[in-house]
Amino acid sequence: MKTNKILAWFVVAFGATYFIVPLLATFEFSLRMRRGEYSFDAYATVFSDVSFRESFSYSIAMAIATIAFGTLLVVPTAYWVRLRLPQMRPVVEFITLMPLVIPAIVLVFGYLRLYNSSSMIPFTGTTRGTDLLFLFALMTLSLPYTYRSIDASMRAIDVATLTEAAQSLGASWTTILFKCIFPNVISGVLSGAFITFAIVIGEFTIPSLLNRPAFGPYLQLIGANRAYEPPALAMIAFAMTWLSMGAIQLLSRFTISAPAKP
Amino acid sequence: MSFLALSNIQKSFGSNRVVHNFDMEIEKGEFVSFLGPSGCGKTTVLRMIAGFENPSAGTITIAGRNQNDLKPNQRNIGMVFQAYALFPNMNVFDNVAFGLKIAGLAKAEIQTRVMEMLKLIKLGHLAERYPYQMSGGQQQRVALARALAPKPQVLLLDEPLSALDAKIRVSLREEIRLIQQTLGITTVFVTHDQEEALSISDRIVVMNAGRADQIGTPFEIYNRPATRFVASFVGTLNVLAATVVDPAAGTVTIGDQTITLRESIATMAKGDHLHLALRPEAGSLAEGARGDTALVGAVTSSHFLGSVIRTRLDVAGTVISFDTFNDPNTKPPAVGDHVTLRFAANDLLIIRD
Repeated sequence: MKTNKILAWFVVAFGATYFIVPLLATFEFSLRMRRGEYSFDAYATVFSDVSFRESFSYSIAMAIATIAFGTLLVVPTAYWVRLRLPQMRPVVEFITLMPLVIPAIVLVFGYLRLYNSSSMIPFTGTTRGTDLLFLFALMTLSLPYTYRSIDASMRAIDVATLTEAAQSLGASWTTILFKCIFPNVISGVLSGAFITFAIVIGEFTIPSLLNRPAFGPYLQLIGANRAYEPPALAMIAFAMTWLSMGAIQLLSRFTISAPAKP
Repeated sequence: MSFLALSNIQKSFGSNRVVHNFDMEIEKGEFVSFLGPSGCGKTTVLRMIAGFENPSAGTITIAGRNQNDLKPNQRNIGMVFQAYALFPNMNVFDNVAFGLKIAGLAKAEIQTRVMEMLKLIKLGHLAERYPYQMSGGQQQRVALARALAPKPQVLLLDEPLSALDAKIRVSLREEIRLIQQTLGITTVFVTHDQEEALSISDRIVVMNAGRADQIGTPFEIYNRPATRFVASFVGTLNVLAATVVDPAAGTVTIGDQTITLRESIATMAKGDHLHLALRPEAGSLAEGARGDTALVGAVTSSHFLGSVIRTRLDVAGTVISFDTFNDPNTKPPAVGDHVTLRFAANDLLIIRD
């Protein structure tokens, strides 16, 4: 019994070391910019860089837009498939899995071929158009995660009966979707949102080929040319990820996630 | 003129017809139960009234207005579901207020109406609770209050007691009936539980394979079943095979025993076979018991159930079951005893298939 406990603690310690040591090493290295002493100079340099602020704000704005539009696309789709087209579920699941098997580089080349400035729909002809194309690409990339988390939340509630109950009380489709269904799948939306946020912040291939000023290409540029700023950036990105995760946890506390007893 | 009328309703899913020529007229304030086994079409008819399914043929009218082209949210029909279907993100107050907010009532009016409804279901003190914090019985009462709050013209109850335990089921069904009578609301109740249907309905529709086999009061349905299905589905029934001896006199034989029926069999011929049904509580084994008809049989089993003694008799090769009240002064019959079962010929029903 005692040996088992020691072994369990050893496994936990090994796992923790595997994650924590590189993190600590990165953090330690990011503090060594000033010769002979630890300092936050690398962080100061990163924060004072206009390109960092611009690329990071751009990526955050894109992440928020991706989450908002992605949710607006996925919640009604998953709802309708569950309610009226259950036979289409395998097809929709297959489609939403496509971004996992099609590499981002293939996706973006396809986009550039279809939506270049001399095509029928010239998204890349303008900056706003390219931003929109980038947004659609990000929505596509996040689809496997958002669809699954929202669909799993819908499985936890009796969508059909809740819909009929609301209908019998006079509710329209919009009211049903936004007042009866959406608040009950918010935990799924938030889980999807967290993953989407992480994907958008770290995405390199698509913004690079679409020439958009996102955080991913900035991170790559700094990493290729500087020594101490990249680990500082990695730590900042890591902190941002944890902050967003904390925020999602906090938000989900205010939602009523427990379903009615059957 | 009836308040809710279903005229020649039919419903098919692909090539499978689940409701056949269903006709029914329900008066205002009446409590009607659709009773039948699973898959008999009772819920489908209810869902057509609610507007969740469209009839393949026929019309549904409420207060003289054709409902066929109206969407579920335009019909002003309250519905209570087996799975409660309370909105998990809303507390009791908001659940009950939902329909009133949709109807655009003023805030003060909503507050008054919701509290009125919660008082009716005796849950005024739980207005702030969420569904997951309540028992099944409490949730179903909230669902009832929510359905009644917008003052619907018809209340539909789709097996609302099926998910509850036996004790709650009995108390809630009585509460539902009391509320229905207090509000005078026209109600259609779907159940597969005959006791539920018999105890709270003004009329019962017994459904079988998409058809209404019989429509009548609980008394009529139980005592005068129109078909073999109704007789076997509602209550327990002993069925005896008989052969016509004299159609004019109404005499038949069961094995080697001859009895005379009260119901006419004049249209039948000598030698025709028929089935006769007798309720378990219709006979008595007591000496000097009342009854103009008697059958002799051998006791195959006798179970003492406290207030009741259930005896099984072999009558001409058919085992029939009888319940008699316990009499502390009379010993129950023993297995193998030959006893005489007495009953009124009037209680013997001819079963038509």
